[in-house]
Amino acid sequence: MEFLLQLMLGAYVVGAAGSLLGGDARWGQGLAALGATLGAGATLALGAVALLSSATLTLTLPGVLPLVGVSLRVDGLSAFFLVVVGLVGMAAGIYGYGYAAAYVGRYSLRRLGLLLNLLLWSLSLLVLADNALIFLLVWEVMSLSAYLLVLTESDQPGTVRAGNWYLSMTHAGFAALLGMFLMLSGGDLSTSFQAMREQTGGLSPLLRDIIFVLALIGFGAKAGIVPLHIWLPMAHPVAPSHVSALMSGLVIKTGVYGLVRVALDLLGGGPVWWGGTILALGAISALLGVLYALMEHDLKRLLAYHSVENIGIILIGVGAGLVFQRYGLMTLAALGLIGGLYHTINHATFKGLLFLGAGSVLHATHTRNMEDMGGLIKPMPWTAAFFLIGAAAISALPPLNGFASEWLVFQSLLGSAQIPVPEIAVFMPVAVGMLALTSGLAAACFVKAFGITFLAIPRSHEAAHAHEAPLSMRLGMGILAVVCVALGLAPAWVTPLLGRALTGLGGLPDTQTAFTLGVFLHAPDGFGRMSPLLTGLGLLVLLVAIPLLMRLLRVNQRLRMGDSWGCGRIGQTPRMEYTATAFAEPLRRVFAELYRPSKELTIDFHPESRYFVQSIAYKSEISPLFERWFYEPLLALIQRLARLVRRLQAGSLHLYLAYVVVVLVILLLSARWYS
Amino acid sequence: MNDALFAQLSTLGSSLALLFGITLLWRRSLSAYISAFRWQSAALSALLVAIGYLGDDPELYFVAIFFAALKVIALPYYLTRMEKQLGGERESQPYVNVATSLILSGLLVLLAYAVTRPLVIVSTLPTRGGLPLAVGLIFVGLFVVVTRKKALTQIVGFLVLENGIALLAALATFGIPLIVELGVFLDVLMGFLVMQVFVYHIHGTFESIDVDQLSELRY
Repeated sequence: MEFLLQLMLGAYVVGAAGSLLGGDARWGQGLAALGATLGAGATLALGAVALLSSATLTLTLPGVLPLVGVSLRVDGLSAFFLVVVGLVGMAAGIYGYGYAAAYVGRYSLRRLGLLLNLLLWSLSLLVLADNALIFLLVWEVMSLSAYLLVLTESDQPGTVRAGNWYLSMTHAGFAALLGMFLMLSGGDLSTSFQAMREQTGGLSPLLRDIIFVLALIGFGAKAGIVPLHIWLPMAHPVAPSHVSALMSGLVIKTGVYGLVRVALDLLGGGPVWWGGTILALGAISALLGVLYALMEHDLKRLLAYHSVENIGIILIGVGAGLVFQRYGLMTLAALGLIGGLYHTINHATFKGLLFLGAGSVLHATHTRNMEDMGGLIKPMPWTAAFFLIGAAAISALPPLNGFASEWLVFQSLLGSAQIPVPEIAVFMPVAVGMLALTSGLAAACFVKAFGITFLAIPRSHEAAHAHEAPLSMRLGMGILAVVCVALGLAPAWVTPLLGRALTGLGGLPDTQTAFTLGVFLHAPDGFGRMSPLLTGLGLLVLLVAIPLLMRLLRVNQRLRMGDSWGCGRIGQTPRMEYTATAFAEPLRRVFAELYRPSKELTIDFHPESRYFVQSIAYKSEISPLFERWFYEPLLALIQRLARLVRRLQAGSLHLYLAYVVVVLVILLLSARWYS
Repeated sequence: MNDALFAQLSTLGSSLALLFGITLLWRRSLSAYISAFRWQSAALSALLVAIGYLGDDPELYFVAIFFAALKVIALPYYLTRMEKQLGGERESQPYVNVATSLILSGLLVLLAYAVTRPLVIVSTLPTRGGLPLAVGLIFVGLFVVVTRKKALTQIVGFLVLENGIALLAALATFGIPLIVELGVFLDVLMGFLVMQVFVYHIHGTFESIDVDQLSELRY
């Protein structure tokens, strides 16, 4: 294991150095991609070995950082996140080789490769950190490298603004985390996590609550829970697509990791409102995320809103787990947390896949606007197939992986009848309803995303002349697509592993016995069972075998080829096609209270007669609720405060110098006072 | 005997340095500022030699030589040259008038005595009597920088402040290692050169070295 750890850290460094030295040269890019891929592979292997053998590895390097020393630890939870990081990192590393080639001469590849490796390095190291200082340092490296990666295409409109939003959100979160760890460690950040685990029991309930709230804000800002989600739909779309995949697949997951680590592991769980808050925020994030996604016609922004939704689903699982843990219903608690973690890896893979797919589309058509796409399935069959797998997975269709984890989350929520407190037992089914609505809307949204993007006839010149992605990009997507299918077919084998990852955290028992290993996955307590394998087999029969058989038996020989969605018309132009806006219109009406859409219809009549129309312009926007009601007042407040501070800046040099003297005198006097 | 002499000498030297520092406060012409600074530096060099001899630290002789070369000869020379080039600027209207300045600097020296008291009580150094005076000199230097308007007088104020720090270091530790002292001298020299450039620029822009004019730069 130590070898794998060294390989992991070394490969990233080689990749970063290669990129730095090689620059635009092919070997430099190759080395950058190789470093990222090899490092991610080692990360994956390290996580897998640790998870399968349930071994923990503790490593202290006292000499590396003065005063603190580096202490790393691989336990079940970090091993699981290592696997996640490794999987997506590997795919993104391979994909990036082809994707970055289009950047030659336009943007600095040296910077891109360096930062990509740095980001993966920090992601891998973050989950290993075993004291607060290392954690915060690596956290900051991760945030800053992600920020600089977002700025890669900094000459494009909106990129810098998105970067600023991301940076301010992540730093507000960092401030909360710093305060949280200071309280948790009693002021000494180099306290090991183990020592914290032992101390936290003795903290006062109020302090524990404050720690929890700070952790929720800090990690929530990174994870993108509503209302701190605002940076996701800005920053994810403007980043290079494999970076978007990493950000959406991994960076926001570090928020989940941190929350589980602090709330469950270090604090050992808490009062019921902790879990309840996470659950409620999760449910709201899930629903709002998908609702806003439905209104997006920018493919990558749509995916970014879906990240909000899926983080919500993950947090529903985690929150339910914490609630059950509070009432001692350990099996159900494990079920909820397993559901959350399962969805974490699932979301990382399918969202990574979808972002890579969107990247291929962007690569081919140079636009993110879905209304300019269409018909891409013909020139890009591979990308279309991979995107379809991702879309089906995120819509939680069996037998793909999204289904397995959402099923587990549902099962855990359905167990809420066992909670002895009626108020909470009543609240949980509401979450079930919201989750069900979310899943349905997500499916609708991806019918739109896939249908408008890949089906019908091209809506623009670029879409008509699209080309398939190069091999490395297809390979990157292919890896994730295979993982999506595998994770979907094998929940009965994955679930016990996740149970093992959680064993011992916050008093969770070894849950391996609760799940029977086999074709069926039984939820504990006999609540339900499912078998994606059999479902998959059924689908195979239904969709492949029966048509094939009919073909062989020559049942239906009358076959006519026609235009897709031709409706018998003779001439067909892209303007006749169903648009993304039109597809989303019914839902826009249903949820008009939330969206508060504004419409603007301008008709130019012919000057001679009002019966002839020259042009019609239709503009419709939805009102950004959180920007308007939360962030705008907040920014106004900050600006007012800043204006107050500006009074200090009077412009007089002497006044500034006088500040120095006054502060010096006050410091000296206070030192005198206390001595 | 030796210790008593040492104590008296160090207090005397520090007092002289402080006195020359306070001299700045009632003089107006720049040449008076420069000569006060020169005398102060000379007193400090002598004190350094005394500390080197009585504290048995030959390294301090070198420090004293460098100190004298830099602050008694080089910097006053440059200052005088600048003053001539910029043409007879006078510190005609400081923010705080002379009488108030003297009272305030007296208060600052008292403050220095107050804040260094705990240190002086526990200290067994023969030079401990000079410590409050050194801190007082630092305060007076700061005071000059804050209340005087001309860029050149501010530079002198800064140099006096720096002298105060050097004095404090010499009294409290009998001289920091030579290499550190050399680094500090280099810093002072560089800082001075940078400030010189700035003064010429300020003069070129505003036709005056009155830093009060800089408030026009406020956004």
